[in-house]
Amino acid sequence: MTGYVLRRFGQAIVVMFIVSVIVFAILHLLPGGLVRAQLGPRATTLAVHDLTVQEGLNKPLVVQYGIWAWHTLQGNLGFSYKLNQSVASLLGEYLPRDLLLVGVSLLFAIAIAVPLGVWQGYRRNRPDDNALSTVMLIFYSMPSFLLAVCLIVVFNLWTNLLPSTATNFGSGLGTDISVLALPVMALCLGNVSYFSRYIRSATIDNLLSDHVRTAIAKGAAPRRLLARHVLRNSLSSTVTLIGLTLPYVLSGSLVIEALFNFPGMGLLFWNAAQDRDFPVLLGVVLVVTLATVVGNLLADLGYAALDPRVRLR
Amino acid sequence: MIAESAGGEAQAPTPTSMWRQAIATYAENRLALAGLVVLVFLLLFSFLGPVLYHTNQTATSLINENLAPSGSHLLGTTPEGRDELGRLMVGGQSTIEVGLGVGLVATAFGLVYGSVAGFVGGIVDVVMMRIVDALLSIPYLFFVVLLAALVQVNLLVLILVLSAVSWLSTARLARGETLSLRARDFVTASQGFGSRVRHVLARHITPNLLGVVVVNGTLKVADAILAFAAVAYLGLGPAPPATNWGELISAGINNLFDGYWWQLWPAGVLIVAMVLAVNVIGDGLSDVVEVRLQKR
Amino acid sequence: MSTGVAADSRQHVLKVEHLRTEFRLRSATVVAVDDVSFEVGEGECVGLVGESGCGKSTTGLSIMRLLPRIGHVTGGRVLLGDRDLTALSEGEMRKVRGNDVAMIFQDPMTSLNPTATIGVQVAEPLRIHFRTPKRQAAERALEVLNLVGVPNPRERMNDYPHQLSGGLRQRVMIAMALTASPKLLIADEPTTALDVTIQAQILDLLDRLRQELSMAVLLITHDMGVIAGRTDRVMVMYAGKTVESTSTNELFGATRHPYAQALLESVPQLTTSAADRLPTIPGAPPDLASLPGGCRFAPRCRFAEPACRAAEPPLEDLGGGHLAACIHPVGGPSERQANGLADAAVNVISGPAPEPAAATGPQSVAERRAALAEAPVLVEIDRLVKEYPIRRGLGLGTGGVSVKAVSGISLTIRRGETFGLAGESGCGKSTLGRIVSGHEHPTSGAVRIDGKEILRLKGSELRRGRSELQLMFQDPYASLNPRMRVGAIIREPLLVQGSGNRRQQWERVAELLDETGLSRRAIDLYPHEFSGGQRQRIGLARALALSPRLIVADEPVSALDVSIQSQILNLMKRLQGDHGLTYMVVSHDLSVLRYLSDTIGVMYLGKLVEYGPAEAVYTAPAHPYTHGLLQAIPVPDPIVERAKRSVAVRGELPSPVNPPSGCRFRTRCPLAQELCGQAEPAMQVFGEGHVAACHFPLQTPTAGEPPHPLA
Repeated sequence: MTGYVLRRFGQAIVVMFIVSVIVFAILHLLPGGLVRAQLGPRATTLAVHDLTVQEGLNKPLVVQYGIWAWHTLQGNLGFSYKLNQSVASLLGEYLPRDLLLVGVSLLFAIAIAVPLGVWQGYRRNRPDDNALSTVMLIFYSMPSFLLAVCLIVVFNLWTNLLPSTATNFGSGLGTDISVLALPVMALCLGNVSYFSRYIRSATIDNLLSDHVRTAIAKGAAPRRLLARHVLRNSLSSTVTLIGLTLPYVLSGSLVIEALFNFPGMGLLFWNAAQDRDFPVLLGVVLVVTLATVVGNLLADLGYAALDPRVRLR
Repeated sequence: MIAESAGGEAQAPTPTSMWRQAIATYAENRLALAGLVVLVFLLLFSFLGPVLYHTNQTATSLINENLAPSGSHLLGTTPEGRDELGRLMVGGQSTIEVGLGVGLVATAFGLVYGSVAGFVGGIVDVVMMRIVDALLSIPYLFFVVLLAALVQVNLLVLILVLSAVSWLSTARLARGETLSLRARDFVTASQGFGSRVRHVLARHITPNLLGVVVVNGTLKVADAILAFAAVAYLGLGPAPPATNWGELISAGINNLFDGYWWQLWPAGVLIVAMVLAVNVIGDGLSDVVEVRLQKR
Repeated sequence: MSTGVAADSRQHVLKVEHLRTEFRLRSATVVAVDDVSFEVGEGECVGLVGESGCGKSTTGLSIMRLLPRIGHVTGGRVLLGDRDLTALSEGEMRKVRGNDVAMIFQDPMTSLNPTATIGVQVAEPLRIHFRTPKRQAAERALEVLNLVGVPNPRERMNDYPHQLSGGLRQRVMIAMALTASPKLLIADEPTTALDVTIQAQILDLLDRLRQELSMAVLLITHDMGVIAGRTDRVMVMYAGKTVESTSTNELFGATRHPYAQALLESVPQLTTSAADRLPTIPGAPPDLASLPGGCRFAPRCRFAEPACRAAEPPLEDLGGGHLAACIHPVGGPSERQANGLADAAVNVISGPAPEPAAATGPQSVAERRAALAEAPVLVEIDRLVKEYPIRRGLGLGTGGVSVKAVSGISLTIRRGETFGLAGESGCGKSTLGRIVSGHEHPTSGAVRIDGKEILRLKGSELRRGRSELQLMFQDPYASLNPRMRVGAIIREPLLVQGSGNRRQQWERVAELLDETGLSRRAIDLYPHEFSGGQRQRIGLARALALSPRLIVADEPVSALDVSIQSQILNLMKRLQGDHGLTYMVVSHDLSVLRYLSDTIGVMYLGKLVEYGPAEAVYTAPAHPYTHGLLQAIPVPDPIVERAKRSVAVRGELPSPVNPPSGCRFRTRCPLAQELCGQAEPAMQVFGEGHVAACHFPLQTPTAGEPPHPLA
């Protein structure tokens, strides 16, 4: 297992390195490069020249990358002239909210999708499974913002149960819960439709496997089969799946935050995109990528811990 | 066990066309057939529709803003005073073009990239796949929005930008398949009588890879349509008078509380129908490929 | 062991009456088990035997009601004691499974839950059926693990299946079946996935447990040897029907059904010499979806006449409880010598046609040997070593750890010779085959074909060099590109080597089809449209296209049914005679090697332990391992089988990462002494061309040095 963990860590570091090179390359594609990106478009030529020399940007690219990477590692991600704040402090403010939104919706999604997928797998190709599969396929085929609008129509427009924007987030726990309800639901439903399809087919594979046949031959009832022999074996692959879906989940949060005006990184990113506020854009990209890489790493370690074939190697 | 006894030694097998068998398998999936019908309908609606239903889609008109459906505007008008039904047809064109375009570009590039990595192997494979890993861990929409913010967006650029994130999983799939094909006995046999790499790739690897990759490409079309809608919703799509279903939905959402239902739901239904249709077609095609895998 | 006693003399445990099982496929309904009746008494072992698709496994699954969703029992009764299992509700049936009736399956790796410990899995039946507290259930699990001979059971309890070897896994499967002390055990091909040495151990275990616990056992197998040694009564199935049912002694001594007889004859045996020709059953079992009218075996039966095709013969008592379903039952003992009719092979499409005689005609073993001694050396294997490094940690270094697949093997193969390489799985024999065929590079040492090292060649010379040696694969499905038509497949080598023009190439394809007994219509068909045996013929046709000198065949018939095996083996022999081919055949099946080979090599953990002329090695093995392997093979003769006393090879193959010091076989050898662990034995001579590496051989070595390459 130690070998596996070390190898996985090494891979994560390599991946982050490549991402940093890509981000650095994009920085250089910018009109005016890194300096303009930091000083903003209205900076004087003199100021640009001073900063260029000061930051060593007249040096060879490799050296520049080294300097930039060093700064980034220290948490210096540049300065947003649009928002008049350092990118690092902006991220420090917005990131925790995302962890909340994405984390809670993922938890709900797993809590719903696992039992649903296992049940569908057990009842495969029967009317109830077919009906559920169809509904899930429709959710799966829906743009996330359309799904969110459907929820707004039901819970706000028709019944007025929940607020349709999340602008008020941060004014007390009670409000926060009601404000978060619709964005969480929207993100969650999309993920449920994706996860449950996967868990259904994993369950079917498991149910048709030889070891489940052995369990049936031992006299195990369906309940025991699903709980002891199917769920446990599907779980480890579900953990990996969650890791792999993280980039999509985060992408979904970008749209949902824009729709509900939820003050998370997605909204920050969207506003920055419209303002062409590049330090923020690149900072956010680095951070969300780091989040997926770390999430993937955790998922793989979780998989290794759950599966004795990896754990005891 | 049953399959084992089929096609006995003594009986004469009748030649069957692979295509006919594929069509028969596809037709067994009724949902996939329905998907095909819906797809054809949407194609006709978007590309043939404007020929039958003439509207002015360039000029805006203040007096015609937000009109409810009527005899002269079957589905009412947009906030800019254009005919909504005509707008849906135009929007359908770009939506379908982006979907198919991304599906093609991403599949072609991913197929070549992945199969080269898988076939060459060694350090080349490691480097090529680490790059894919890195790009895959950047949440795709963030990457697309970043690229869209960097350059002036038109339909072609958008196809390229969406392809830039879409080819990654195809490359992974193609690599995995190539690796397993490379180890198959028929490839070993072919190398055994002295085939060149080119011959093995052309004759043995690619034809067997194609089925799986085509199925994957179909699902890519669906994903691309959804991603395009998201980009358009975020206001980063091509500028008017060009339009697409995502942008139309976005306009509808802005007027949601005014009760202009015709601006939101028809576009919503069309995009869901389109994505649903492509997804079930993909399922049907994967049945075809899997049946072939079983026959091996 | 009771023999030939009809079951009604004692209480039956299981009584199956007129069982009928259907599979409802999308296109048709198929009757997989058709009117099958039998019973199993207390402490009795009844065998169900037949080829794949005959319905034997389906019968077992029908009893347990474990059929896949499309399968349905549509008729008959399954009486366990007085209870009809087919009439029970699913809930009641669950109380029967694992409690009254237990079942073990073919593949112990996939049949165990990979994420649960052995202890938990073995204890599970008690937890399910009696809600036994965990601690008590674990104690019982320990008890049965001990009973089935799992070493250190207390430690093994916390292991996961992947940590055990194949043989131990099957012991665990058996332990699991025994936990709740069932009355009936159904064993479905329990040893098919295991090596012969392990197979013998597992079958001995089942025998012992059956007697100790006086359990009824239903043994489902395709192996007539297993049937002969382990069962009291047998039922032979063909295409869903019982064709013969009698006591084991009676079946082997006085076979009545032509199918059963032909099946027994077509199995190559250890006594079948290379000079014999193996009788074959032409054709293949019928497709259950489109059965011929009348007797199902009639199209392949050498005694068939019009009456056989008119009506299905009923299963009748031919006296003394010997049942057979045949209008003209054959007369008792095997007619192999008297009857030369069996040499019919298949013409795929137009039906059975006589196998053309080999151009050279049959040779006696002595003649062949004499001719071979004159023949020039074709293959020279020189101190060949192959080690696979194991990656550890970050995957950067190897830490010097490696799997020792082949550890210094030298031998020669003469032109026109068939060299058979035997050994258990994991002994390195397939690796050696792959290196000889030029598909893998050795770590050190060399393989020379006609004096040339193929893998040292470059570019077009390498490509040309490769055409001299061809491979024959175990799995004929996997060796043919599913997207190419058969014509294109056979033509491919000609195209690649650019031999002849288009027309000549197609003429050659037609010629090859004729030679391998395939119809020319095959050209336009895809591989999936053929059966296993036909695909193996296609593979052979392709291998022959470039007129190679050497064919390396890795388990060429082990994926095929017995009746098809003999067809392919005969074809291989004929082609050798016609084309002067040299074969290197790698197989775990010593009977197959006996039939094909002039010379035999036995490998153990990367080392060649014995080498010599086939008849010498088989009749008088010098190495205890060879002796043990030969002993372990089940022989289709009840008298021989039952005379075997004890297992000749203990335990399982050690890890090739850290092979034992000195003689690698010593950890499993009954004769091992201190010396064996200290020094590696050198090759000693035991007759002309017969050598073995053992400190305490089973014969006295003759004087003289071993011949050059083997030293």
